[in-house]
Amino acid sequence: MIETTIKRPLSPMRVLCISLALCLFLSLTILISLLLGTAEVTMKQLWGVFTGDPDVKDMANLIVLNIRLPRILLAGLAGFSLSLGGVVFQALLRNPLADPFILGVSSGGAFGAVLGIILGLSFSLGIPLMSFGGALLTIYLVLLMGRRKMGMESSTILLAGVIINAFFTAIIMFFIATAADDRLHTMLFWLYGDLSQSGYSQSLVIAPALVVGFVALYSLARHLNLITAGEETALQLGVDVERAKMICFLVVSLIIGLVVAFSGLIGFVGLIVPHLGRMIFGSDHRLLIPVSALGGAIFLIIADTVARTVISPSELPVGVITAFIGAPFFIYLLKTRGSKWTRS
Amino acid sequence: MLFRRFLLLLSCALMLCWISATQAATFRDALGRSVTLNSPARRIVSLAPNLTEILYSLGLGDRVVGVTQFSYYPPEAAQKPKVGSYANLNVEGIISLSPDLAIGTADGNMPGVIKLLEQAGIPVYVVNPRRVRDVIETIGRLGELCDVPEKAKSLCSRLDRRVSRILKKTARLRRPLVFFQINERPIMSVNKNTFHHDVIHLAGGVNMAQDEPLTYPRISVEEVLRRKPEVIIISSMGGDERYEKVRGEWLKWSGIPAVKSRRVHLVDSDLLDRPSPRIVKGLETVAKLIHPEVEWD
Repeated sequence: MIETTIKRPLSPMRVLCISLALCLFLSLTILISLLLGTAEVTMKQLWGVFTGDPDVKDMANLIVLNIRLPRILLAGLAGFSLSLGGVVFQALLRNPLADPFILGVSSGGAFGAVLGIILGLSFSLGIPLMSFGGALLTIYLVLLMGRRKMGMESSTILLAGVIINAFFTAIIMFFIATAADDRLHTMLFWLYGDLSQSGYSQSLVIAPALVVGFVALYSLARHLNLITAGEETALQLGVDVERAKMICFLVVSLIIGLVVAFSGLIGFVGLIVPHLGRMIFGSDHRLLIPVSALGGAIFLIIADTVARTVISPSELPVGVITAFIGAPFFIYLLKTRGSKWTRS
Repeated sequence: MLFRRFLLLLSCALMLCWISATQAATFRDALGRSVTLNSPARRIVSLAPNLTEILYSLGLGDRVVGVTQFSYYPPEAAQKPKVGSYANLNVEGIISLSPDLAIGTADGNMPGVIKLLEQAGIPVYVVNPRRVRDVIETIGRLGELCDVPEKAKSLCSRLDRRVSRILKKTARLRRPLVFFQINERPIMSVNKNTFHHDVIHLAGGVNMAQDEPLTYPRISVEEVLRRKPEVIIISSMGGDERYEKVRGEWLKWSGIPAVKSRRVHLVDSDLLDRPSPRIVKGLETVAKLIHPEVEWD
């Protein structure tokens, strides 16, 4: 049993206050990230860009509004989504190692996207749809493989996810190795997460889906609390477990599919951020969901800012940075908390 | 009367302004996009090493304000500010050089990055040479784009003559089987969709791996033993001793005709990997290796 027993009622006020504080922190992160990059943009210029000061050079304007802001927005939305996906998967599978990347949902999405590219679909609609399809297919396969008479066994599901992840990665590698199309070669970058091609259009596609998805998942926060405590208990307390699960898996596949189509495979965000949230704020999903999502946005914006500045003028794939921070953290979790979780 | 003369002068002046303002020229690039330049480009960013080489060969080095990693030919190009590598461009770095033209390549630059540059108001002209002859055509197009058409024309005809000369000299000769190695571990070759294949073909050889389904197929030693190539050419970085070792590895297999007749050669990869004017030099080098029996000079 994990620490889901809620000791004192969580007041909506507390949720609101913590969320607002994180929003403030997020704004600060965005502001600092806007100042950092290969080209020099000063605080004064940044202020000028947003107040429409005519004295500001065109270049600062271009760099802030056309290059950095859309990229930071997409990084934020992607981090928000991945972390949200992580927290929901961890609750549903009652396993701390579940996250969209490890369960293969991300690589399923990538498989769909690569297939879309081979079929020559458009980057604005066709490929995101294929990516969503791939993510959905993966979660279906994972659940099918993990199904037992008595509900689902989380370790089997996790194993199924790892296997499917490996399988889809192999298929993608096969496509890339055999592709005559040059576009696929440049996609190798995208496999490690790449936000360097972000414009506003991608954010405009993700944002509405994310708003709907967030509302849907947040309305299930109470159910998630009960499911984490044990599916049978949840059933006895009148939760339609199967329905809640279906909605969660569908919504998470949708948003992860979109994120993968636009930003590639970025691992570990959905793993470390929800765990940090749990350590600091406890595991009531009514608080944990907004905390993880906002934290994910902050984390990925920071990681991407590091990725684009650390070896400037070249840049690293953002997945390298998240994995660099994420992998040691993953091992730490496995060592210290793994046993506590799996006992449930 | 005076007023009327004034009006006439004014309209003339306006006319002149209008003419100079509409001196914009529109070019169509290799992807079929139209690229409009209001005046000849003065600040050019090259988005790949071969494009840097082309620009320098046209005498445009002074106008190049930014290049990508590995733009070390001609040597002075290496001094220019870097904007990332061709596959991993730094958009911010490019914009901060405030260029009035960027030249990119369809084979390598990411389409999203090109879109971002366009949105930032930088015209991007994309080239896509796939064959040796395409390179010469590309040089001509870039000459027109950068307002040095005469210079480009004379360079193109010089290059064209050199290619034709090779074709003429090798036309009636028997075409030996050539194994072209681009990577040592694993051993990899090239199929017919590559630049290297075109070079081998123009030089009067037959590319051993031309019908492989993969563009850059892995080839086993066994396969090379079976196919018995008469010439082995190893694409190598100049001055690297590692490649002498790779050559030594082949020399063990005396069953291969190329080994028996000591025709295992190293060729500087820069001469063959880059769709730049130097490709013709690469072609001449390979032709001499494939057909040593010809009187070349």
